[in-house]
This record gives sequence, structure tokens and C-alpha cells, in this order.
Amino acid sequence: MRLTKVFVLAASLAMFCGPIFSQATAPNQQATAAAASANTAKTPLSTRIVAYQIEAKLDPTKHTIAASETLTYHNLTGHPQQTFPFHLYLNAFQPQSTFMTEVRVSGTRGNGPDTDWDPKHFGSITVDKLEVEGAGDLTNKMEFIHPDDNNAEDRTVFQITLPKPIAPGASVQFHIVFHDVLPKVVERTGYAHDFDMVGQWFPKVGVWWKNAWNCHQFHANTEFFADFGTFDVKITVPQNEIVGAGGDLVSSANNSDGTKTLAYHSEDVHDFSWTASPSFTVVEDSWTGSQYSQDPVKIHLLMSPGHKASAPRYMKALKGSLQLFDQWYGPYPYDRITVVDPPHGGSDAGGMEYPTLITAGTSAHMPQGLLVPEFVTEHEFGHQYWYGMVATNEFEDAWLDEGINSYSEVKVMEALYGHNTSFLNFPFAQLSETEEQRSAYLSLPDMDPISRFAWKFISRDSYGGITYGKTATVLITLEKIIGEDTLRQALHTYFMRYRFTHPTGEDFLKTIEEVSGKDLRWYFNQAIYGTQILDYSLADAHSDPLKWWDTPAHGSKANAKDEMYRTYVTVARKGDFIFPVDVDIKFDDGSTAVEHWDGQDRWVRYQYDRKAKIQSAQIDAHNQITLDRDPFNNSFMKEADPRAVHKLRNIWVFASEWLSQLLAWLT
Amino acid sequence: MAATNRGTFFSGAGLVWKWQRLVWWVFAVCLIFGFFSTQEMTERAASVLNHSMAAQRLVNGFDVGAIAELLQLPDSPLAIQGHDIVHFSLLFVVFMLFATGGILAAYVLDEKPTTTAFFEAAGHHFWRFFRLLIYLAIVLLPIAGLAAFTSAMYSHINEQSISPYPADHFVEAAAVVILLLLIIVRLWFDMAQVIAVADDEKKMHRVLRRAFTLLCRNFFSLLWLYLRVSIIAWVLFGIGLHVWMFHVKPQSNVAAFLLSQLMILIWIGTRLWQRASEAIWYRNYQANQVPEPAWSPSPAPMYMPVAAEPRP
Repeated sequence: MRLTKVFVLAASLAMFCGPIFSQATAPNQQATAAAASANTAKTPLSTRIVAYQIEAKLDPTKHTIAASETLTYHNLTGHPQQTFPFHLYLNAFQPQSTFMTEVRVSGTRGNGPDTDWDPKHFGSITVDKLEVEGAGDLTNKMEFIHPDDNNAEDRTVFQITLPKPIAPGASVQFHIVFHDVLPKVVERTGYAHDFDMVGQWFPKVGVWWKNAWNCHQFHANTEFFADFGTFDVKITVPQNEIVGAGGDLVSSANNSDGTKTLAYHSEDVHDFSWTASPSFTVVEDSWTGSQYSQDPVKIHLLMSPGHKASAPRYMKALKGSLQLFDQWYGPYPYDRITVVDPPHGGSDAGGMEYPTLITAGTSAHMPQGLLVPEFVTEHEFGHQYWYGMVATNEFEDAWLDEGINSYSEVKVMEALYGHNTSFLNFPFAQLSETEEQRSAYLSLPDMDPISRFAWKFISRDSYGGITYGKTATVLITLEKIIGEDTLRQALHTYFMRYRFTHPTGEDFLKTIEEVSGKDLRWYFNQAIYGTQILDYSLADAHSDPLKWWDTPAHGSKANAKDEMYRTYVTVARKGDFIFPVDVDIKFDDGSTAVEHWDGQDRWVRYQYDRKAKIQSAQIDAHNQITLDRDPFNNSFMKEADPRAVHKLRNIWVFASEWLSQLLAWLT
Repeated sequence: MAATNRGTFFSGAGLVWKWQRLVWWVFAVCLIFGFFSTQEMTERAASVLNHSMAAQRLVNGFDVGAIAELLQLPDSPLAIQGHDIVHFSLLFVVFMLFATGGILAAYVLDEKPTTTAFFEAAGHHFWRFFRLLIYLAIVLLPIAGLAAFTSAMYSHINEQSISPYPADHFVEAAAVVILLLLIIVRLWFDMAQVIAVADDEKKMHRVLRRAFTLLCRNFFSLLWLYLRVSIIAWVLFGIGLHVWMFHVKPQSNVAAFLLSQLMILIWIGTRLWQRASEAIWYRNYQANQVPEPAWSPSPAPMYMPVAAEPRP
């Protein structure tokens, strides 16, 4: 998930849009039953623990859903299971929930309920009936639990205890009748105008992980965690609605009451989301070019009114991402990807990932030089790998999906849009993805370790800056230690090895160590598990005449050219993060020296006796240690160059004068 | 009227040129305040950047990343900048409140603005103009209310429409209306200041009433007078920004400084051009208001020597 805050004026791409747009009408959607049946014939890619069959009916005027769900759970835990926890995420959007309690402390993403409760953000999921095959109606046995805090009012997790345990290897079927009230778009889901984004909308069973049930409450900073399986979902909506979903369309049938029922099938995924709006414009395309398969990946863009100009931008970013992820990390095994463009006023539904369906984000006047549509699309597509397939626990190890994905975002965006122009690309101002991630990290770099549970960060800013920005920056710095190619190979190995499983942080770190053949604990302990700041500085660099008492100033007639100088270069470690650094020293006769310091002590001083004086000294001359907090104290030039200060002053003087003129208009 | 207005327009420019020392004074004060407002930032930035090789990123272009890095340093030299700029800008507002009396006196009387005359007029009108400023704040309140209403309506329209365009178009239209209202109010108060100086009127509410009547009777003439200069100011400002961003080399601080100061100088000049035009317009208006006498005796016939016939 990537936040999109910057929406400003300008730029139209309309000239590019005409040929590829087609106004889709829902009844004419082609059923792809053949493709779906072909899919089911394939060898399962995942261990299918769950099988959901859901029938849902949307009331687009009330933004409610009436649904029934049959969940078949295969007990592959190796233990008899009698108690099963379920998520009811939509209940987070109530004033007494743990989610709202946390929002009041540190805010949340986007423009959702800030610190005040607004009834328009009310959402709920109510289980009307719960039956278990062979055990009858157990609705009265449902019990809300609060594994993360003592908030008895939170109703985002319930558990059900069966009359008798399910043996290892056996299955159990739950029949659940439930209904949803969608909130005004908040935290990735809900409605805006005639747009409904239906995510985290059905009772979802927890994950048996590390020999225990893992089913956390919904928090202000957390996302999701679920088991792989199959989804067969029938969605009934009015016939004018255009629907997008995270599955293959198996059938579409019009009903006599003016509705239609669309049946979707999806497998080897761990979630299912969908969207509906009569105002979507459908843009269809496909991507081929995988080194693993000849089969095309169908691309569906569902564009909201006023956003057509961004469609080519979404498409280019998506195809580029498909290509590079395939090339670098591994195959994209699904035959489809749907990109949902939320309408204006619904941007909080944007920037979100679900299996084979992502939500992007743009505005009617998105400038070409601001690569928001591109990086949001790239980021959310990246989650198909780092969350969708490598299905890490987003509650406890958010860095494994968001952080690794932010690193991938840097690499892909810089490959597609240029190193220095991958975030901002105006003629007068550019910004790279690396800098953007670093900037996020620097906003609050030392309050929380990367490895902290997502809901335990001190603030929303710290969660975002550390989980996304610092992890990306840590991995970029890791390139200096093991090399970019090796790190890419490690990510490829990690992906291929752990796709369709739930790996841990240690699985990731050990894979890097294995592929690189290096013991990197010293680095990971500080960067991943610690909060130390990395900051090296060139504390001092100067040259003194070796015979300082015998200089011309003291009456010596020795030739200045033959003068010997003693040069001192002092490097200090200002932060607690220990990292080996290289120091490049240049002398005014053109000679150089390179020192390598292990960084263990607080400082080190190098000394040279030469017929030359110091010209400059620089730590990390190639700017590879992106974790270093302050790049300005990494170097020293003997000759001061005030041009940068003059430039800053020019700009600020002008800004000051301009503001003065505007205010003086009042007089 | 158009011919008269065109004359006023160019006469205003001529008056600004004639008494250009006023432009230079205002510019000098503005520049000095600008420098003062950046002094602390400059010293602190110098200690961070002058010997740093990383500062080259700023030298060779407008590096947004480097600016962001600077802003996020624990003791960022840029962190204090906003406050200083606001403080000195407010100080400049006070200065202009003071100086406007002197400037208008020079334009209304069309007399050389000697230092003595300038400060005398400035001091003479300062408290009057201060009172006008308070009236202005009161008049601006409904416009602020309109802006707030626009914002609320924008949200409301956004809520109702799936397309972003109706709300965008509404805001664009509302912005034009609000801008026009602001211009009219400014013009009204500009004329009030001219009347206060020209007629040495002490009662500001009376001045405002007369200025309002004047504005109502000559609305399009005065508006066009004001608007024309504004358009010139904005066009020149836009050209200046374009040249700065796209044609001045990033390494050329001197050229950037000269250009940016030229933009400010032109901005000040055009604002004073509006003032001068308004002063001339009022002078002409007063002159035209002198009533024709009902009767005057015919002048006595003068003896006019008859020129001799040219000799063939």
C-alpha cells in the first residue's frame, strides 16, 4: 500500500487515450470460463488450506452487502483444532474499536477519520448465522476476542469453539450468513459516489502460524494475513454496474429483477476483493514477454470519470513492472491483473493491493512530471510478489511486504523512468525514488526498529518512514556490501523459495546471507533489529608544515616547493551504527590516498607526511551508504565554495521579497 | 474617456519614471529586509555547506533531494527560515504603510520627492492609512466569508458528483469572482488614499464614501486602468520566472540574483505605476470638475501690431 498525498494541477494525456478506450457495458463482459477451467486443471501452486464460496448481493444505493459464505478449512496444522478465529475487519470502522482508539493517538492513512469520529465512516460486518457442518447452528457460541489489547469493545476478531476438534488432515465446513455496511471510503474500502470498493468484506479465518493461531485485531497501521486457497464468488449487482474483481469471470447472467450475477473463480490466492461502479470506463490490454510462459496476462483498467488521461501512464507502469519483476524476481503466474482507479473523493481506496487486483491513484490534473500514477501502480503491482505470493504476516512483519516492495519500487521505477527522474521529472526539479525513500526514512529515523509489529510503532509517521523508507534504504545500502546483482539474485531466490508460503523475517535475512555467502548479522542486527543512527563525519582535515617552526613566517629561506607538510584527517562516527567506511583523500599535488576504516571506534585519525597539502577528504565517495543520515558532513574541501549558499540565499531572498510584496498589497 | 484613460496610463508610467527614486527606495528597503531575513540561514548553511562536497548538488542545479536532505538535518539551517521571512515581510508591510503617504504626495502634487517632503508626507498620512487598513480588514471579511463558502460548496459539489470537473469549474469561476472583488476593493482603497492625500482629508470614512462614489461613477475606466498594469506586471513576472528556470545556468548565481531582483524591481515599479496612474486620473478628474463661470466680462481688445505686408 502506498499513500498518495500529492495531487496538483495540469497536463492532459487525452490525445493518447482515444484509441484504447472502450466504454464497457457489464452485460457484454465476456465470460472466461474456458480460461478458468484451464486454470483449475493446473497443478496447485499453493497449499490450498481454505476454499471460500461466497454469494453476495450489493445494494448500491445503501452501500450494503447481503451475503452467505461457505468456508471449507483443511486442517493441515498437524494438530487437532477445535477453536477457530475469524477476522471481521469492517467492524474496525466504529468509534469504540481498537482501530479508532489508535487513530486518535496517531492518525491513519489518507483522509479517513482523523482524530474525530465521523459517522459517515461507520462500517460493519454482522454475522447473522453461523453453522458448522455436522455441528449445527453455533451462532450463539461466537465470542469476540481481543488478542492484542484489552479493548472489550473491539469486534474485529471472533472465535468459535466447535463441539469436537477437527483431526489433522480432516476438513470442516462453516456456513456463514452475514451482511456488510460499507463505510464512506476509509482505509482502503468503502464507497464514494456510485463507486464501491469492497475489500476485507467477508469473515476470514485466521492463520495457523508458528504453532498458534495468528488472528490479530484490525489496527490503524496494520494490514492483513491469510491462508492460500480457492475463491468462488458470485456477485449480484444492478445491470448497469461495471464490476472488477480479483478472479477470472466464469459466468455472467442477467436476472429478472434488473440485476445480474457474475461468478468469479480464483485460486492460489489468499484474499478476494471487488469493485463496482456504473461510471467506470474499461481499458483492456494484455502483456506478453515473460521468460517463463507464452501466455498473456490480461490487463483491465477501470478508469473513473475525469481520469482518462492517466490510463496510458498506468498501463506503461504496469507493463514495465510486469516485465522487470518477471526478469528479476520470478514469474507472475496469474492470467490477469485488474487496476482500479478510484474516483475523486475516493482516493482513500487507492494505493492498495489485493491478489490480482490493485487500486491506483491519480487526479484530473496530474502533471506529467509528477510520477504518482506510475509509482502507485508499480508499488501495488509489486505487492503481487511481496504479499500476494510471498505472503508474509503484514501485522507482525510489515517490512517484509512494504519494505522489500519499496526497494523493488526504487529499482523498477529508476529502471523505467531514469535514476534521477523516477519520482519528480520537471525541467527545473527532479527527484529520484532513492531520495524519496530516504526522505521518508529521515523523517523519524530512530524511534522504532524495522522489525517491530506494525501496530506498536510510536506513530503513523514512524511506521511509514521506517517500514517503507528505512527498509528500502537499508537494502540499497546493502548493495554496497554484497553488490546489487547479488542482492537481486537473493530476492529472486527468496521469491522462488517462499512464494505461496508465509516466510518470516529471518527466512529473508538468511536467504540473503546464503546467496551472498556472507555473515551479515552485524548489519542486520543494527539495521533491522536496532534503532541506531548511521552518521559518519569528516571531523577535521588540515595540513601543517612539518617543520612548522622553520617556515618563511619564522624566518626560514627554504623553498616553499620543498616544504613538507603533515596532514591530519580525522573521521568520526557520530551515530551508534557501526559500518565500515572508505575515506578518499586528495592532495594539492594530485596525489591521493584511500583508507578503509572498520568504524568500530568513535573516531580515527590518519596522518600523512608529504610535499603537498590536503585538498579534500571524503567518506563514501560513491554515495553508496544511503543510510548515512547527514551526507553534508561526509566530506571536506580545503577551499570553501560558497556557491551553494549563495544559490540558497538568492532563492530565499527572492521568496522573502515576494512575500513582502504580496502582503504590502494590503497597504 | 478612452483617450483620456490611455493618456493617464502612459502618464502614470512617465510619472514613475520621473520620480524613479521612489521605486529605488522601496526596492532597496525590500532587498535589505530580504537579506536580513536570510542572514541567520545563510550563516548556518555556510557552516554546513561551504566545505562540503555534497553541496555541489546544489551548485549544479536545483536539487530537490539535496534541499530535502538539508531540511531533515537535526539542526537544519533551513528550519528557521520561514519565521524570519514572515517577520521581515510584516516589517515591510509597516514600512509600506508609512511610505505610501510620501509616494502618493509626490505623485499627486507632481513635485520632486525630496527626503524632507517625503518623510513629512509619510508621517502626516501614516495614522490615516493605518485607519484605512482597519477598514480594509473589515471590508475583506465578507470576501473571506465568500471564500469559505466557496470551499464548502466545493466539498458539497464534490460529494454529489462522480466527476471532478463540476467542482473544479465551480472553484475556477468562484476564484475569478473573488479575485475581481479583491481588485475592486483594492482599487477603492487606492482611490481613497489618493483622495486623502490630494484633499488632505482627515476623516477616513468620508474619504471612503467619496472614493466609493467615484469608483461607482467611473467603474470601468478605473478598473481597466488598474487591470492593464496588473496584467503587464504578471506577464513580466511570468517571463522572469521562465527565464530563471529554463535559461539561466544553474551555476550562475550572479545572473540569477540580477534577474530575480529585476523581477522584484519591475513588480514594485508596476505597483507604483498603478498608484501614479490613479493619482493622475484623480488630478484630471478634479480639473474637469471645476465649474464653468456663469458669466465673465469680455477681455478688453488688445492692440495687436499688424505685421507689415511682405515685400514682393
